[in-house]
Amino acid sequence: VPIQTKARSFERARLDNGLQVVISPDRTVPLVGVAVAYDVGWRSEPEGRTGFAHLFEHMMFQGSRNVGKVEHIRLVESSGGVFNGHTLPDLTAYYEALPSGALELALFLEADRMAAPAITEENLRNQIAVVEEEIKVNVLNQPYGGFPWITLPELAFDTYPNSHNGYGDFSHLEKASVEDAVDFHARYYSPENAVLAIAGDCDPAEVMGLVERYFGPIPRVATPAHGPWPEAPLAKSRRKTYKDPRAPQPAFAVGLRTPDPIAEFDRYLSYSIVASVLASGDASRLRSRLVHTERTVTDVSSRLGIFGEDAIIMRQPVLFQIIVFHPGIAGTDDILRVVNDEVSRLADEGPTQDELDRVAIGWRSGFWRAMDSVLQRSVTLASLEVIHRRAELMDEIPGRIAEITAGDVATAAADLASQKQAVVEVRPATGRRP
Amino acid sequence: MTTVTRPAIRDLAPPKPPSISSIELSGEMRLIVVHKPSVPLAEIRLVLPLGSEQISNPAAPLVLSESLFAGTEDLDRTEIASAVERLGGSLGAHVDRDALIVGGSAIASNLSRLLALLEDVLATATFPVSEVTADRSRLADEVTIALSRPETIAEEIFDEAIYGNHPYATRIPRPTVLRRVTSPTLRELRKKVVSSRGATLVVVGDTDPKKVTRTVKDTLGNWAAYSRRKSTTLSRVRAIEPGPLQLRDRPGAVQSNVRIGGVAPARTSPDWPATALASLVTGGMFTSRLVTNLRERNGYAYSPRLRIHHGRAGSVSTFVADVATDVTGAALNETLFEFGRVASVGIEQDELDAARRYAIGTFLTSTATQAGLASTLAGLLADGVDPEYLATYPARLSRVTLSEVNRAARQYFAPSQLTTIVVGDARIVFPQLEILKERVELV
Repeated sequence: VPIQTKARSFERARLDNGLQVVISPDRTVPLVGVAVAYDVGWRSEPEGRTGFAHLFEHMMFQGSRNVGKVEHIRLVESSGGVFNGHTLPDLTAYYEALPSGALELALFLEADRMAAPAITEENLRNQIAVVEEEIKVNVLNQPYGGFPWITLPELAFDTYPNSHNGYGDFSHLEKASVEDAVDFHARYYSPENAVLAIAGDCDPAEVMGLVERYFGPIPRVATPAHGPWPEAPLAKSRRKTYKDPRAPQPAFAVGLRTPDPIAEFDRYLSYSIVASVLASGDASRLRSRLVHTERTVTDVSSRLGIFGEDAIIMRQPVLFQIIVFHPGIAGTDDILRVVNDEVSRLADEGPTQDELDRVAIGWRSGFWRAMDSVLQRSVTLASLEVIHRRAELMDEIPGRIAEITAGDVATAAADLASQKQAVVEVRPATGRRP
Repeated sequence: MTTVTRPAIRDLAPPKPPSISSIELSGEMRLIVVHKPSVPLAEIRLVLPLGSEQISNPAAPLVLSESLFAGTEDLDRTEIASAVERLGGSLGAHVDRDALIVGGSAIASNLSRLLALLEDVLATATFPVSEVTADRSRLADEVTIALSRPETIAEEIFDEAIYGNHPYATRIPRPTVLRRVTSPTLRELRKKVVSSRGATLVVVGDTDPKKVTRTVKDTLGNWAAYSRRKSTTLSRVRAIEPGPLQLRDRPGAVQSNVRIGGVAPARTSPDWPATALASLVTGGMFTSRLVTNLRERNGYAYSPRLRIHHGRAGSVSTFVADVATDVTGAALNETLFEFGRVASVGIEQDELDAARRYAIGTFLTSTATQAGLASTLAGLLADGVDPEYLATYPARLSRVTLSEVNRAARQYFAPSQLTTIVVGDARIVFPQLEILKERVELV
């Protein structure tokens, strides 16, 4: 299929204090997306302080040297903007989309909190309470809460950075102190440890002047060490089963290892194609067989990373996951046999050219869809630059996906088939079917 | 601390509304085309209105939305899915409150192929017995999971309390009912629902409107020519007298799910822009009174929010807060206090100004992408609102006065007019709630 391309160049610059800036102008909408990604995530948080990276993300919205509590958000919203932040294993991102007339305000706000967020005892206690409610909403009060994003890494890895729960234990969160927060900020929230990306309705030269004005005075600080945190492959398969009293049906997830997502990026992408061929869409192999033909499974999916969206913005090690929800007609081992069977078949026969073409065009259109949102574009550029030092990947990935061969995918599947597996199983408290 | 001047916000020219072409096609179908060449993709949404009979019996429409893609005269499910993927696209359906919405996307140069596939599905879906059996059973399993979520339980109790006997009260089909939906039922339902009369197709993307119109006539003309349906009526949602606070026991729950709301004006009502702004100040934005109080001041809830949900038969405000069990009473007290304050004392001019800029800015953001604009248009059409709304809404917001906002707050957010329900651990929560409400009823 011939694909038209509309080149959308971006520019980059670096301030003397080390802040990397990426600008992607697009005058077709009167909006700008502004993203600041910091090279720190929950894999870097100290032992005994699980959940601290995410708690600190909350602290960044509590005001800063020249901005009062709630004023940061008040200024963004009252200029017509929307905002959010997220904490991932290897990075923390802050972002807003605003009418372009408010770009300077957004840069002022991001610079002010990069320089000096308002870390006070009162703000900290308040945000610990808010984070605990967030964890209750998303984990403790939910069926399948934390499955598998918390429970699979706990089983599949042995070292603290990779295996611990990024949301954190309440006991750790409650021990967090102002001093911890001040140290964390000093170490990780420096200009050289961050990337600022601006996408949308702006003039790059004008933007650079503003960036220099607001971010330029922030002092340079030595950049901390970052992972990777490699772990040896599993020597033996592992299985853990736990009861979820809120879950109405059984479920399980399989965790496997992938190649280095930075040094061996193309090889890593071939594992992502394995995931798509196996379980993306009704034509995929596992979905077609387990959901629609054998009908032993309600839902099957496969992804790389923790949440899937973070697949290309993580350092080593990254899990390859297969996640299955099923009504219990068949047992975990029966379903797992089919899963393993399909991975082996893909290793032996490789994907068809049609499967490869479908995955490639899917990435291409997914790329355009992401480009259509100034917010998503700014977040993606900043995140790729933090992890890969290469925002250009945003444009390049669809082409690199298209170059991966059937042989590459078969090799990836063969490696996956040969590995020892970590399998975490969720059992409902009652086997009753309503 | 010296005060640093905040950078001024540069005012922009009023946003240019999208240029929308609306075309009446044969078969009493309407086509809405927006030329939006931001990226080389195209989005489609086909809005098929549901009648009150289908809204009251949501099981069959839900299975239809899945089994529509289970096979046609020419293609099986896998072939349909592969064909869509080859276009760099997607195709699926979901049941909205008032409509079955078929949505899809593709690389723009593949739009005609996507429409041809759509036509094949609409006109010749076969609903194979074995596929329908599997789909309904899988959906029953998915609904079982959904019904175990506290948010879903709260939504159901709230809807029953707000809508009473109105068809809108029954949103989520029961698993046992889903398991009884058959292939013949779906074929009958298709005649009623998957029909061109009253349907609207939205196309947004990097495509020429004239060419799109021709393509749609060529591809969907055949389907439109034979499909007909009776027009259906739906009674309006009426304001109800709030009853006692309804409490559903969920023993051991670490949080209580609080829902508060009442009837709100439709988007076509003259009251709407003022009510939208009043709701933003009350609880619709992060810096609203309710979020500032419950989250930033008290740490009671993670993301409390007041929203207004629109339907063809009426609109309803809903305040959602999931709060820690031991502070449920305290959180409800603060919530009712903020509603009471906004309704009886009113809001300030600077709050109105901030809400207005927020409303216009977020309206721009949500319609800035092809997918966002297509879905916004589909939502308007499902509610029976003319797409002209997109062009006039920012100006309507700009004209709202403080006294209009305060009147709207009094009319729509007075605690005496609002219905409250709670899902939580009754043993702990009941005594807390009894202090605040005259009557608390376990449901």
